[in-house]
Amino acid sequence: MYVYLPIAELSMNIFTIIGLGGAVGMLSGIFGVGGGFLMTPLLIFLGVPAPVAVGTEANQIVASSVSGVLAHFRRGNVDIKMGLVLLAGGLTGSTIGVALFALLRELGQIEVVIKLSFILFLGIIGTLMLIESLRAIKRSRQSGARRGKLHQHNWLHGLPFKMRFRKSKLYISALLPFGVGALVGVLSAIMGVGGGFIMVPAMIYLLGMPTSVVVGTSLFQIIFVTANVTFLQSVQTQTVDIMLAGLLLLGAVIGAQFGTRIGAKLKGEQLRGLLALLVLAVCAKLVFDVVITPEDFYSVEFLR
Amino acid sequence: MIRLLAALVLMITTIAPMAYAQNQLVADLDQKEVQITTGFNGAELLLFGALDRASVDDIAIIVTGPSKNIALRRKSNIAGIWLNTENAEVVGLPSFYHILTTKPLDVISSANTLKINSLGFDHIPFRLARDSKIDEAPLAEWKTALVRNMEKTGLWSNRPGEVEVISDVLFRADIEIPANIMPGDYDVRVLHFRDGAVVAENISTINVVKSGLSAEIYRIAHEYAAFYGIFAILFAVASGWLAAVAFRK
Repeated sequence: MYVYLPIAELSMNIFTIIGLGGAVGMLSGIFGVGGGFLMTPLLIFLGVPAPVAVGTEANQIVASSVSGVLAHFRRGNVDIKMGLVLLAGGLTGSTIGVALFALLRELGQIEVVIKLSFILFLGIIGTLMLIESLRAIKRSRQSGARRGKLHQHNWLHGLPFKMRFRKSKLYISALLPFGVGALVGVLSAIMGVGGGFIMVPAMIYLLGMPTSVVVGTSLFQIIFVTANVTFLQSVQTQTVDIMLAGLLLLGAVIGAQFGTRIGAKLKGEQLRGLLALLVLAVCAKLVFDVVITPEDFYSVEFLR
Repeated sequence: MIRLLAALVLMITTIAPMAYAQNQLVADLDQKEVQITTGFNGAELLLFGALDRASVDDIAIIVTGPSKNIALRRKSNIAGIWLNTENAEVVGLPSFYHILTTKPLDVISSANTLKINSLGFDHIPFRLARDSKIDEAPLAEWKTALVRNMEKTGLWSNRPGEVEVISDVLFRADIEIPANIMPGDYDVRVLHFRDGAVVAENISTINVVKSGLSAEIYRIAHEYAAFYGIFAILFAVASGWLAAVAFRK
């Protein structure tokens, strides 16, 4: 059964879309990640134009973050003050990002920039995760592992505009979370991701937030940043496909339920190792795409 | 099929009395409108017609779609990565160009006749916008690249031998409408060739329209972009919340 996607302007098998949503939803359930960083490249592999994949995915992440954040709110794992500072940065960054996106699209370079951004970030995150999980697996086999310091003090803590974040038990410069939020906001707009896979490590290692509030706070601000991206992409580039987003979401909601159950049965380190391999596989495919000599040096695109 | 047979019977009975008239050409389509609905995945139209003395003659059917501007880009390798480095904007190019014939066009007629009647990929005007940047490759290469890439999209195609002549009088051809078709008016030209010269021509139109939910979504996304954006967000928030409530443990 085929469905004609109004914004992507192509016809796709409805079960392929729901299946993709389900598969990525399941992975995000298993690994506790947003899944945008996998969904966007996979949509591109399936032939959805890269700009539409990015715009649509931002919309879908709004939904998955809303559904994710509610559980964290109930458990009180959201540092709203920190979230708002991150958000201020995120809104700034994503607004710049969407403008950059529109400019790159005009120049005919958006496809390659999207792919290169994914290669860079998937490569870094995948490698780091793989190393970390291998170490953890090794450590769990040895006994008497030592714990490091919670966080170290460096020049970043000397920045002005210090602010107290009670829930995170931090007294740091507001410029730090603002900067992290802005950087992730730019990436969110260009890559169509929530950015949790960059935000979470940045919150833990750079800001020194306690891990208990990291995921909830990250989800909280992702809702607003991706909502901002959805709105701006709708207005500036018309690349948000509601039909595609809705079908992906349908699959993702169901997939996530299975994923959470599977995830609960697997070991953490092995889980992260598997996710790392998956991330690196997607990265490798993208590298292959931009490096291999194209079949045809020329390409066509209809202009509006 | 029954519709086709009925139409053919009707045509034979109406043509028979005119059998002595010169250069009679009748053609029609089984469908004049194509609707891009939510379940759309391409369509196939049947063109059928009749003419006298077909045995030695040829038929060419040219279907052209609305004119569009197209970005034609060329990649080159910069530091190991393939980037679009040159680009041309081709203006007023038919977004759809299907050629269906009894034999290849250059066998049917002379280059000059084809040019006069603007038939075939070679005679599609190739006009570039002024700010086009094409330094390295010759223009002819860009033009063949355009044809090659448009054929790859399925929006252009050249299919000799696709017009089937039945008992020297009737002919039929299947016009394939791919799923990536653009809405607009499509001209269907049927040309009757005898000894390389056009002796009769018949022109009709197919309307391709978006309809149903997909059409509405597209229209709102473009005409009321801000409203669309807000709706998309509210839709996402509502479904996210619903999912969380539905699966609450």
